[in-house]
Amino acid sequence: MSSLQNAATPRVCAEPEVKVPVLSVRAIDKRFKTKSGDEIHALNKISVDLADGEFVSVLGPSGCGKTTLLKILAGIVPPSGGTLLYRGTAISGPQAGMGVVFQSSVLLPWWTVLDNVLLPIRVLKLDLTSYRQKARELLRLVGLEGFENSYPGELSGGMQQRAAIVRGLIHDPGILLMDEPFGALDAMTRERMNVELQRIWLSTRKTVFFITHSVSEAVFLSDRVLVMSARPGSLVENVRVSFPRPRNADLMSTAEFGDLTRHLRHVLGGSGAVHD
Amino acid sequence: MTKAIASSNRASFVVVVLVSLGAGLLIWQLAVSFTHIPSYILPSPKSVWAALADGLTRSPTERASFWFHLIDTLRATVFGFLIGATLGIFFAACMAEYWLVEVAALPYVVGLQSLPKVAIAPLLVIWLGYGSGSKVAMAAVLTLFPVLINAMAGFRSTPRDRLELMSALNASRLQVFRYIRFPGALPMIFAGLNIGIVYAMLGTIVSEFTGAQRGMGVIMTQMQSVSDTAGVFAALVVLGCTGYVLISIMRLAQRWAVFWSESTRREIDQ
Repeated sequence: MSSLQNAATPRVCAEPEVKVPVLSVRAIDKRFKTKSGDEIHALNKISVDLADGEFVSVLGPSGCGKTTLLKILAGIVPPSGGTLLYRGTAISGPQAGMGVVFQSSVLLPWWTVLDNVLLPIRVLKLDLTSYRQKARELLRLVGLEGFENSYPGELSGGMQQRAAIVRGLIHDPGILLMDEPFGALDAMTRERMNVELQRIWLSTRKTVFFITHSVSEAVFLSDRVLVMSARPGSLVENVRVSFPRPRNADLMSTAEFGDLTRHLRHVLGGSGAVHD
Repeated sequence: MTKAIASSNRASFVVVVLVSLGAGLLIWQLAVSFTHIPSYILPSPKSVWAALADGLTRSPTERASFWFHLIDTLRATVFGFLIGATLGIFFAACMAEYWLVEVAALPYVVGLQSLPKVAIAPLLVIWLGYGSGSKVAMAAVLTLFPVLINAMAGFRSTPRDRLELMSALNASRLQVFRYIRFPGALPMIFAGLNIGIVYAMLGTIVSEFTGAQRGMGVIMTQMQSVSDTAGVFAALVVLGCTGYVLISIMRLAQRWAVFWSESTRREIDQ
């Protein structure tokens, strides 16, 4: 049948300009059983395409399944239904093409920052010597120059999370999945980390899938903000954010920024919870 | 400022320890001088010191030298410890990684754990004879269990987020063990090893009591048979000092291997 289709579709009619999304999420569904035997419907037919180099944030009330969705994309948790396509090919399980940054930095206390950052290289059995140089460059990019040989316990929370971002980027993944990476930081550090992350993103242009429950963080960082409803989580809003880059903290006090965050808060409120 | 306090604390620490030791020796000497406890029950500190000096200054080739026996005891303790610790960590890893191994091993572990393990010393002598073999085996058996139990607990308590990090990288089971589970379990493993080294010496001495040709346990039973109580005391001092050295070496190893752990830092500061 496919050969027939190929025959019926001459090459000249193909659309070479249409880019294949880096990641296509197609009708991802997740149900699981609790210990008491009740079935929970966590995610309800989530579909979204991530374009190359796009920064997409997901907002949603607590417990709506945002983290579950990220774990499914990372291949840590299997979906109950639906498919994932990475650059057009169906995938299941973890992929080397993805880097993950978790809520906590998850740095290993027995390794230096440099060794921690190189963990994916060791696991993927890539050439350590050549990536060591790259690790130093990335650490410089996130402002951790001079801390290569420090141990995680000697770093502040913000520095630890920056090291975790470098670890997520080191093997040059197509997509960076970030699960509320700044959720545990204080408000001031968090704002600074947002500016930092934008700078890192502008210089690496990775596709980023960013989960947060902060509306202003989502708008400040993203090209596109998705809103998830309360359980069962489904996408209820998809807003394009077109403020020019680089954006700075002053943007947050503009009327346009306020309109957008107000709208998103309204959608969030309608979905069952009010957030900052 | 804090350094000054710390060093003055350290100085008073040393003073208190020395005064306490001196007072103990004095009370002991007074008890011997002013009561009529016979010397085969409680020898004087002086005679214990004499026995100690005699045992330690003799040539290590003489049978009456402490060194002649201590070398044998120490060797059996260290080999037994190394064998027991290696097996303990290995079995713990297999049991933590494979459900089948754990369940299959469970009756043996529980059975041996409920047994007073020194009670198998006569059996080991029957199997392995009066040489070093039975001593090493006893030391290894006694080391094995605390290491096994602690290492298992360590492998099991791997934080979930570290496992998810490795899972996202599609790491193999061996990689998860090597990079995450094993180093993460080291503080617990060292807790087991610290008990293990003490047990290893205990096992060696018990085995030497049961029957051996050389060793501190052997010389002590010989001294006992001729009521050389001062000699027995001197042997106990030697064993105590040896034990202290072994424990100190373990602490150093722990500080080197688990320098990053909060609990290690606290333990060593004490």
